[in-house]
Amino acid sequence: MFRSNNVAARIFERQISSPAPGTSVHCARRFYENIVPSHTIFDMECPDILFRKFSDDGQYLITFSRNHQDLIVYRPTWLSFSCREQDCHDHELPSKANKFESFFTQLYTVTLASSGELICKDFFLYTEKNQFGIFATSTAQIHDAPAVGGAIQGIPSIEKITFHLVRLEDGVILDERVFCNDYINLAHSMGVFLYDDLMAIVSLRYQRIHILQIRDSGNLVDVRSIGEYCREDDELFLNSSAQASEKRDLFMAQKKLEAVDNRDRYTSDCSFNGCECTSNPDRNRTHNIENGLDHNQHTPEAPFLGGLKQRLLSFIFRGIWNEEDDPTVRMQCLKKKFYFHFQDYADLVIWKVQFLDRHHLLIKFGSVDGGVARNTDNHPAFFAVYNMETTEIISFYQNSADELYTLFELFCDHFHSSSKNSFYMNFLSTHSNNIHALEQLRCNKNKASSLPQFVKKMLATLPINCQSQSPSPYFDHSLFRYDEKLISSTDRHRQSTDHPIKFISRRQPNILKFKIKPGPESGSADTRTKKISSFLFHPILPLAISVQQTLFLQPAVVNIHFRR
Amino acid sequence: MLGSWPSIDPHNFSQFKPNDPSNSKRMTPVTYRPTHDRTVPPPDQVIGPEAKNILVRHFYQHAEEKLRTKRASSENPSPERASKVPSFCL
Repeated sequence: MFRSNNVAARIFERQISSPAPGTSVHCARRFYENIVPSHTIFDMECPDILFRKFSDDGQYLITFSRNHQDLIVYRPTWLSFSCREQDCHDHELPSKANKFESFFTQLYTVTLASSGELICKDFFLYTEKNQFGIFATSTAQIHDAPAVGGAIQGIPSIEKITFHLVRLEDGVILDERVFCNDYINLAHSMGVFLYDDLMAIVSLRYQRIHILQIRDSGNLVDVRSIGEYCREDDELFLNSSAQASEKRDLFMAQKKLEAVDNRDRYTSDCSFNGCECTSNPDRNRTHNIENGLDHNQHTPEAPFLGGLKQRLLSFIFRGIWNEEDDPTVRMQCLKKKFYFHFQDYADLVIWKVQFLDRHHLLIKFGSVDGGVARNTDNHPAFFAVYNMETTEIISFYQNSADELYTLFELFCDHFHSSSKNSFYMNFLSTHSNNIHALEQLRCNKNKASSLPQFVKKMLATLPINCQSQSPSPYFDHSLFRYDEKLISSTDRHRQSTDHPIKFISRRQPNILKFKIKPGPESGSADTRTKKISSFLFHPILPLAISVQQTLFLQPAVVNIHFRR
Repeated sequence: MLGSWPSIDPHNFSQFKPNDPSNSKRMTPVTYRPTHDRTVPPPDQVIGPEAKNILVRHFYQHAEEKLRTKRASSENPSPERASKVPSFCL
């Protein structure tokens, strides 16, 4: 670790000594204590766009047009100007510093949404390896959609959802995937999880998890669809046995018909007069039989439970079965714990999914009402770990399970499951890798009024939203201390205050390193209106954008914070 | 060289060139053959990386432990019946 706080001394020290093994990134990060975005340009002139975020490698700034139809991508550059006088660094910045274009160069604009569709402004996923971006457009939501075609009741429907795979280098749309009359939670990328080149899309309406692969060539390839079927050939097998049983039914019906006809031929006089007489009744009866079969096919028979649901129920059943040896006690346990709640278990729906690694999924189950609700605290929820290759459920926990919370506390990093391709995302500061964050968590745990409630609240963040944390070193808890309620690495809108948000150095306690103040410099005149802020931190450069919005469609106040 | 540590094969370190040219003696190491076979690896041992990350490994371990405690408790005449399966409460 560095002996001095002076940046020049640190650079000299870096030249002559190498860091301890495995800490090179953390050592390099310490220079961020010296280089901070301390200067703010308030209310800069910028085009009327909606800011999404910086890509995780810092190459692109993703924004959308105000009408939610176009994608506009900028390259972050740096303010540069020349000054011929002496003592230039004491001078004010030139007037062009107030312009958005001085900091960002527009690369291109691409229209993603056709008429009737809107881009989901909260949705953006990035593959660092190929610099592909995934965006979503959708039509309007229909709330009371009838449950047809395998859909479950209670989930709204969206006529068309399209996922676009865009090469961010030049804005070319490489591939699209459309879901019709479906519902996928697009806000904050909740319904989609990206791991390396695998994408998991949760169709809430049809209760399926679609696994897609993003090839290097830019194609989206279907890998499997989990829900109704678990293995790739389940559908084929069930269809072929369904066809076989249909053929058998039809054959039996025809046999019956022939038997009836044979009886008729003996008894009816008309039958000997010509084939017309006999053939008509035959044809009618055959039609009736066929219609009858058709009719049977249209009436909803009691269907099989979907493959994933069957795996889940049998896992729960076997767990309870294995607990007891005595058959009578076993039966009582099963009645109490399984059969009594059977319908509740069978009615569970998939809410959200994340990858734990390439083969394992963490699936959150809950009741139908909670699937689209914003606040799911009061709804019961369960977590299951599912192996896609063996199609087995590995474990099943309720959302108040202490075991799962212990794993979350110890191995939070692994829930973030950053792939090896993503360099910056491997160094997120969480309570599993940072003592200060862990202390904060323990402090909250001790302050909590009830431990089960605290556990539920913490586990409600699982499965985590993909790419929702900013990799900026300014959020590293070992470098800076900041108020997590006002600002944090999670990209969520927060309530805005007029006071600047302070970033205080950890190693030199009580030394303020920099402040981030959203909103106008003098503070807003109207203190009563609710204001929300969002922050975009560049992953590498000492550059941040804060956007403050009121709820009355007034223009947003955009500040830029950078190192002067 | 690191003192006079023994080596299993006297031909080891035969190409070792000391940095200090004054000490040009090349020493053959003392040979040592172990007198026991407690540290010999099994002949079919293959060491490879674990495919599952530690979190997933813990999930599997918990599942196995539940199975093991149930088996152990079935041998016990009066085991404690802790409910390992979550109960559905609304």
